[in-house]
Amino acid sequence: MELKDFIKPEFIKMELASQDKKGVIEELVQVLEDNNVIFDREIVLNGVMEREKKGTTGVGNGVAIPHVKSNAVKKPAIVFGKSRKGIEYESLDGKPAYLFFLIAVPEESDNQHIKLLSTLSRMLVHEDFREALSKADTPAAIREVVRRYKK
Amino acid sequence: MKEKSLREGTIVKKLVATTSCPTGIAHTYMAAESLEQAAKELGVEIKVETCGSVGVENELTEKDIVEADAVIVAADTNVDTNRFQGKYVVTAATSQAIDDAKGLIKKALQGAEEGKTTEVKGDIYSQVSDIKSARKSERRGPYKHLMTGVSHMIPFVVVGGLAIAISFIFGIKAFEEEGTLAAALMQIGGGSAFALMVPVLAGYIAYSIADRPGLAPGMIGGILANQIGAGFLGGIVAGFLAGYFTQWLKNTIKLPKSFQGLMPVLILPFISSLVVGLLMIYVIGQPVQAVMEGLKSWLQSMGDVNAVLLGIILGAMMAFDMGGPVNKAAYTFGVGLLGSNIYEPMAAVMAAGMTPPLGLALATVLFSNRFNKQEREAGKAAWILGISFITEGAIPFAAADPFRVIPAIMSGSAVTGALSMLFGASLKAPHGGIFVLPIPNVVGNLGMYVVAILAGMIITAVMLRILKPKVEQ
Repeated sequence: MELKDFIKPEFIKMELASQDKKGVIEELVQVLEDNNVIFDREIVLNGVMEREKKGTTGVGNGVAIPHVKSNAVKKPAIVFGKSRKGIEYESLDGKPAYLFFLIAVPEESDNQHIKLLSTLSRMLVHEDFREALSKADTPAAIREVVRRYKK
Repeated sequence: MKEKSLREGTIVKKLVATTSCPTGIAHTYMAAESLEQAAKELGVEIKVETCGSVGVENELTEKDIVEADAVIVAADTNVDTNRFQGKYVVTAATSQAIDDAKGLIKKALQGAEEGKTTEVKGDIYSQVSDIKSARKSERRGPYKHLMTGVSHMIPFVVVGGLAIAISFIFGIKAFEEEGTLAAALMQIGGGSAFALMVPVLAGYIAYSIADRPGLAPGMIGGILANQIGAGFLGGIVAGFLAGYFTQWLKNTIKLPKSFQGLMPVLILPFISSLVVGLLMIYVIGQPVQAVMEGLKSWLQSMGDVNAVLLGIILGAMMAFDMGGPVNKAAYTFGVGLLGSNIYEPMAAVMAAGMTPPLGLALATVLFSNRFNKQEREAGKAAWILGISFITEGAIPFAAADPFRVIPAIMSGSAVTGALSMLFGASLKAPHGGIFVLPIPNVVGNLGMYVVAILAGMIITAVMLRILKPKVEQ
């Protein structure tokens, strides 16, 4: 298993429709719901919101990584979304976010999985990775960037 | 350290850092990576430990910490900083490390340059409070829910017990005269505070499980437990029933989005309260009430032998894990019975919870060659923790030498528990240690109660003398 396996092609949205933070979170969670990754949309949504209340996951440099750990999640998954216009996400640097990763994991998760997921957070610190994601314009290209970048 | 700073121009600066965040899947690692990245750019050596949801990775060793010039703690959760004693510690949120790792590193280096050190609270008091909060956060499942209920119940028990005790100042039967202050105090203590005890216990057990929608069914189930005489056992049953049932409903009932707002305020509490209430009245109430009555009459009529046995068991339980689940089970038993006007087990429980730190403190004075300098110093604090009924005060000693310390404190506490029961000492307050003893009527048979505590302290100290080898000074 590798990181890109958590980002199935159908989990990738090349153009997000939402205009604001709440909307984009709902839109990303909806992808999980549509693909039958979660038991309960409300619980997952609440989990993401709770986490945002403790501190924004808009980590700056145009990236947001909302995440949730909940029993309502069936299996670990990453939803990726892109917004060309940018979405105001209460980011640390005050600027809009363009790249979104929603990370969802079950309460009782395999440590191996979490370790893989944590490498995504580490990769996002690097500018060249973010740039490659911005340039990629198909789901396949996004997955390829993730696969290639993985050490 | 000194030597190093003399040659600092030639040496690459070394930092250590630890990161952690609430969920432990994203920020912990981003902060770590940002720090590593920034350190690389600044030409500084850094080792970053991550405390994520998979546990601690890349853990800092004692050697790492000793060699480090300064420490960065980037955390949104409570981090134990005791191990960084004597270092300059920069504390920040993970977001700061992600946003401005370079700034944090520069701040750490500057502090180290100036020879600053951060005062890290490293005494036994903070150790004990760290242990307590760590244990609290480790609580899981039913035990966590029960403890949420018990902790919310405690203030009601304190108010009830003390108000009743004060009413007795006017005479044991003074409250029977209507319109008197004694009657008013009894109305506050017995009639209100104690009456709320079981509903609050049940309500907050359910609240802990199912969040707000659980509170109403829990409290209603609790008050029914009271009315049918099922006492705190009935309350515990009602609380868990209400909590898990509400949670189940929450996950089962699917409503169109427009009606979802009704779920937490109307549908969940209403259905759950009806089901829990009916079950309490028609099904569960009677058997639990029978158990509770049986327990009460056994406790009230038991002879000396059984009383001593119960005291030994409760006492040993209090010392066994010093504030852990076994200790809390005995404690909950004692507190729960206060609501049924049975005060002797509570007395045994509190006394036996005080003797572990007190006995250890006594031993550090009487048999100081059994303890190292640090422990003898900690002994002074153990007096305070002991008289305050903070059994956790024994943990620093037990952690260092569990197989000798735990049997010693269990023996002392068992003796104290047994004697307290034998003397028929009673206690109307669920906490407070030595500070509730002077309040009139709170403790029954005060003189012998103190004897029971002293006896346990002495046994604990003597056992430590026998079991522990001499320490090379």
